Amino acid sequence: MSEYVVEMKNIVKSFGEVRAVKEGQFNLKKGEIHSLIGENGAGKSTMMKLLYGMYPINEGEIYIKGEHMTKLDPKIAISHGIGMVHQEFMLVNELTVLENVILGFEPKKGMTIDFDKARKDVQHYIDQYNMEIQLDKKVSQISVGEAQRVEIIKTLMRGAEIIILDEPTAVLTPQETKKLFEILANLKAEGKSLVFISHKLNEVMEISDRISVMRQGTYMGTVNRDETSPLDLTKKMIGREVFLNIEKDYSKAGEKILEVQDVWVPSQKETSKIRGMSLCVRAGEIVGIAGIDGNGQSELIEAITGLRKVEKGAVILNGKNVTNKSPRKVREAGLAHIPEDRNTRGLNRTMSIEENLVAVELDKKPYTKGIFMNTAAQDKYSEEMVRQFDIRPTDYKLPTSSLSGGNAQKVVVAREVSMNKKLLVASQPTRGVDIGAIESIRNTLEKAKKQGAGVLLVSAELEEIISLSDRIIVIHEGEITGEMAASEANENNLGLLMMGGAKNTKQKGEEAS
Amino acid sequence: MSNSLKGFYKILITLVVALGIGAIFILAIGENPIAAYGALLKGALGTKLGLGNTIAGFTPLLLTSIAFAVAAKGGAFNVGVEGEVILGGITAAYIGVNWGFLPVPLLYLACFLGAMAVAAAWAFIPAVLKAYYNVSEVCVTILMNTVALYIGSYLVSGPMSAGTATPQSDPVLVTLPKIMKPSNANAGVFIAIVVVVLVILIVYKTKWGYKIRTVGTNPAFADYVGISSKKVFISTMLLSGMLGGIAGCIEVLGVYGYYLDNFAKDLGTNGMLAALIVKSNMTTTPFIALFLAVLKAGSMAMQQATDVPKSIVDTVSAIFIIIATMNFVVSLRTRRKAEKAAAEKRPQDPSSAGTEGKGGSK
Repeated sequence: MSEYVVEMKNIVKSFGEVRAVKEGQFNLKKGEIHSLIGENGAGKSTMMKLLYGMYPINEGEIYIKGEHMTKLDPKIAISHGIGMVHQEFMLVNELTVLENVILGFEPKKGMTIDFDKARKDVQHYIDQYNMEIQLDKKVSQISVGEAQRVEIIKTLMRGAEIIILDEPTAVLTPQETKKLFEILANLKAEGKSLVFISHKLNEVMEISDRISVMRQGTYMGTVNRDETSPLDLTKKMIGREVFLNIEKDYSKAGEKILEVQDVWVPSQKETSKIRGMSLCVRAGEIVGIAGIDGNGQSELIEAITGLRKVEKGAVILNGKNVTNKSPRKVREAGLAHIPEDRNTRGLNRTMSIEENLVAVELDKKPYTKGIFMNTAAQDKYSEEMVRQFDIRPTDYKLPTSSLSGGNAQKVVVAREVSMNKKLLVASQPTRGVDIGAIESIRNTLEKAKKQGAGVLLVSAELEEIISLSDRIIVIHEGEITGEMAASEANENNLGLLMMGGAKNTKQKGEEAS
Repeated sequence: MSNSLKGFYKILITLVVALGIGAIFILAIGENPIAAYGALLKGALGTKLGLGNTIAGFTPLLLTSIAFAVAAKGGAFNVGVEGEVILGGITAAYIGVNWGFLPVPLLYLACFLGAMAVAAAWAFIPAVLKAYYNVSEVCVTILMNTVALYIGSYLVSGPMSAGTATPQSDPVLVTLPKIMKPSNANAGVFIAIVVVVLVILIVYKTKWGYKIRTVGTNPAFADYVGISSKKVFISTMLLSGMLGGIAGCIEVLGVYGYYLDNFAKDLGTNGMLAALIVKSNMTTTPFIALFLAVLKAGSMAMQQATDVPKSIVDTVSAIFIIIATMNFVVSLRTRRKAEKAAAEKRPQDPSSAGTEGKGGSK
């Protein structure tokens, strides 16, 4: 038996046309934490899902504990001691934590479930790894961090020796992240082998023993943590020195297009999710908002675009006060908006590409003729958009539900950008789209800026924020924790601010880099 | 094009299967299904009276089914069409009886406009409750149907009573001409057809229609692009209510010549069924309405000509609806499968996949 508990060799996996993994290599030693890093869409999650048996591989070999796996599905993977904690939790909200953990293999006592035994078993793990879990609460009542611990317990209860964590920190607050890392260290001390998927370099540097890098579906190499640096990893991840040679013409920034003055915004669940944010966007600049998902980005964007009422404060767009105005009024004042959720908000999936393209301009000439729609003009416009933004397929009468993620996003971008509005708010514009579309969408934003629009960019991708923005604003738990020119920014100083740690010591944060 | 053709094809098959199962029932009671269906068809279409009855039954059904379908296009499940028919009817009766000071053409217009306005106002209530207070329009409209029924009953038993034994109003001063005496078929059918064509045009060719369809399929998208989902929802319900009101007005002016208590019984429900069978497809809904009208009109003739009770017709339409809904389920499942095969992206639930996994590592 080799020294590896998992070996994946020469893996190839395609989804339809898209080659998600072109050449994947991965191995895992017993009792190590092995990080798998790469940009979004680099194929790291896919690799691990292949190991967990969620999809069959097209080519290559997978060995688990030296055994060549010719057939693999989650059931077989679990029986070989593999557990996976997914990005989206697989828990039943209306059941208690205990019920969730034992779901599917409940200990029986005659006809009934032996809850006492179950509780004892689960408690054993909780004590062993020092996790804080309240067994009798319903899942709907516990925090995200706790739900994640429940997921980890679940894998342990199923006898997992190898635990895959798919971007576990994306949804966590810094405190919860710290707690998670303690648990991971405990698990490692107990001899479990862990795979940690992430694109956050500081976390990877903190927790890993070894680090493997993937880029565009291809394995780029494995290094020991002690022999590498974030800069080195970044080069491997992206394939070039991204941050240094971007030429940005920032001198053109003109008058203020958007001003947000001390706004307070509630979220779905809590009041004052955003507490007193002020910022401005000028003509001809891209302002990036960096922050861990769920720290108020969505609420801020919705408040600016009129989709969410603000508690207090003001939003000024193009000199007009648009605070708490309807989305239509805000759009009339000069807003274009690429929303973060393309499937529910950005597109009407059941309607055609054309109907989606004209949605915003429907009431304006030449797309309207009296009370009727001017189909000829709409056709002409759609044809132009499909050509200009390279939307495929080109038949604009097709429903948007038939489009791939990248092309669907191009429809959204085409609609919003073609109007040449003064302010373009782009929220996660490249999330979940393929590399080609990412390139074209980024170029489009750059072009909008050159033509004098102010662009407010929100992205979970630090790399995207840094390479596109002129100015970067970092937010944490509904407050602005720092602001800097993009030229001064890097993963480290932004990361620190994103953790909220250096709220009033911006200078220190920069020095620390 | 090919899609709607496919739709027709599907409905046709469903129809044949439903009639087939109905035939088994007829055989079970010892009758000849072919003779029974023959009598039904002849009764509904073969005689002048029969054809007239079919048209008379078809007219309100056409309007109520489109009223339901258009509401569904805007995302509303409007069970309240029946109440809107009743109130439209009573309003038409009131104006038709009391506004004799108007010249005749204007009186016609007043009857229709009044019926539409009152019915729309009635639909406005559940619409606002839904749009601004998120109260289920289904519950509200079901309850309001009963209220509307009693308002009508009260008015024709009390203030508007003709003083006859049956609760009804005085005869109206203007009526729609009957077209196939002695049946109840009247010129209202032409009005209904024109109205339905207009509504289909509105839904598919106008900006308002575009907004209705947008809000009906994705209100979040609508709000985001600057179409107020609340306002459009309400306007859709108003349109639906108006259609109900027109149906009520035609019944009063065309069929009875006065307001007869309980005249709208089942008109709303049957219209809803017609629309539901084809998932509120605007172009096929009228044909289903026609089919239901044929069944209804022919059932009496069938009962007279053979020993098959006319309730077999209810059985057939019930089976029709069940199969049509099942069909919906089947197509949904094939779509799911197709999606899964195409994308293969949806992560499987490990808790279900791991059902047999070894629990607890001791």
